[in-house]
Amino acid sequence: MNCEEAKKLMDGYLDGELDPIANQKIEEHLRECRNCDQAYKAHGSLIRAIGNGTPYYKAPAKLRERIQSSLREEIAKEPVRNVVEDFPPLFPTGQRRTVPSAIPWNWLALAAAIIFAAIITFNLMPRLQRPGSDQFLATQLIASHARSLMANHLTDVASSDQHTVKPWLDTKLDFAPPVVDLSSEGFPLIGGRLDYLDNRPVAALVYERRKHFINLFVWPAASDASKAPKTITRQGYQLLHWADSDFNYWAVSDVNVNDLQTFKQQFATRTSHH
Amino acid sequence: MALLLNEEHAHETEDSDPKIVKFTVVKKREEDHAQQVEPTSFEGAMLPHLDAAHNLARWLLRNEQDAQDVVQEAYLRAFKSFAGFHGSNGRAWLLTIVRNTSYTLLKKNRAVDLTTTFDEEIHGSGDVAVSPATILERSDNAELIKEAMDELPAEFREILTLRHQEGLSYKEIADIAQIPPGTVMSRLARARGKLKECLATRVGKENR
Repeated sequence: MNCEEAKKLMDGYLDGELDPIANQKIEEHLRECRNCDQAYKAHGSLIRAIGNGTPYYKAPAKLRERIQSSLREEIAKEPVRNVVEDFPPLFPTGQRRTVPSAIPWNWLALAAAIIFAAIITFNLMPRLQRPGSDQFLATQLIASHARSLMANHLTDVASSDQHTVKPWLDTKLDFAPPVVDLSSEGFPLIGGRLDYLDNRPVAALVYERRKHFINLFVWPAASDASKAPKTITRQGYQLLHWADSDFNYWAVSDVNVNDLQTFKQQFATRTSHH
Repeated sequence: MALLLNEEHAHETEDSDPKIVKFTVVKKREEDHAQQVEPTSFEGAMLPHLDAAHNLARWLLRNEQDAQDVVQEAYLRAFKSFAGFHGSNGRAWLLTIVRNTSYTLLKKNRAVDLTTTFDEEIHGSGDVAVSPATILERSDNAELIKEAMDELPAEFREILTLRHQEGLSYKEIADIAQIPPGTVMSRLARARGKLKECLATRVGKENR
């Protein structure tokens, strides 16, 4: 590989998006060419500077409310038409004309629509969620993760110091979860939280990755539970499960799979030394 | 001035026309009327990505009010075609809609957009060499990066946001920005180069 080609592939290499062969070739070239190696290091630190320094515009709370209420309006509008068409008339055609004005009729239809939606929600949803305990747990995990980001309740104890987070959790729980800060590995610890999952209180450790959050749920492993690692992708979230001799771990985030795998490895490596 | 204009035109041909995309969304909506969309499942699947949606729109439009309007409209569009969405990557799907909605507005405001973005003074001397370390040392580097980002064409702001802030893969970026996967790396390289230039000019000018 010459300098020209190396320069062209530099961004892909830094982003970890090259195929293994191209990766190997560029690494060989960087070992041999001092100029390109310097350019590579400078470009790498520029990319990190941009990544860390670019302000992230979080949505203001009132936008969430605006969207939710506009969705409500839309929902109220849409099913009304379907429900009215699908239902047999409540009154014989002759009498129906005597129903005064369109407004009460709309209210009836609206009420029907709401009841309809409620029936579907309460009857069908739990059944849909029931297949397999893993799927049910995954739903709980995603809900818990999403809720932690939605409401102002990401952490109960906000600290990047593992020696602050761990004692706090120890006093609140009947077990002592492992807590490590992974800042040097690119996953700074943000804090800890109590949560309730799988019918028991659990520890939630919060880590950050490029402005995205990772919730790591930890609770004691049941002796008969499967230790096999699992990955689940759902609704754009990645869920990663693993277990060691003492604990069950579930990491939930919207970072990509590779990042989450790296996170798991770093966490597992660091905790096994303790 | 000519350089920036050319770049904008080049991207215009590279990208598919948002109008076509808009049409397919409308079409889908009609087919989906027969299916019942569960409102709770839509909110559960899509509201967690509100920050990502807002951040992308805000960078594309460079204006808070426009960003909020676009995000709200994008959510409505997404809701109406939600029954047709069977993929697993809800964030990428939503961001595609946000992106298209933003571009529709950008194109409408294009005349204004172009005249307000370019400043001959700032772009006059692009050959000042400033190392990334100098940029990093700046205590106000967030503000600096923001100003430099806002100078870039929309296509560059978009790709930098998707990669650096959302951490998306090249494949996901290609889908959202509607460009061939092979184009992502070169566009990202150009965007970073241009951003570096803008940063260097700003830092260099102040140090003089």
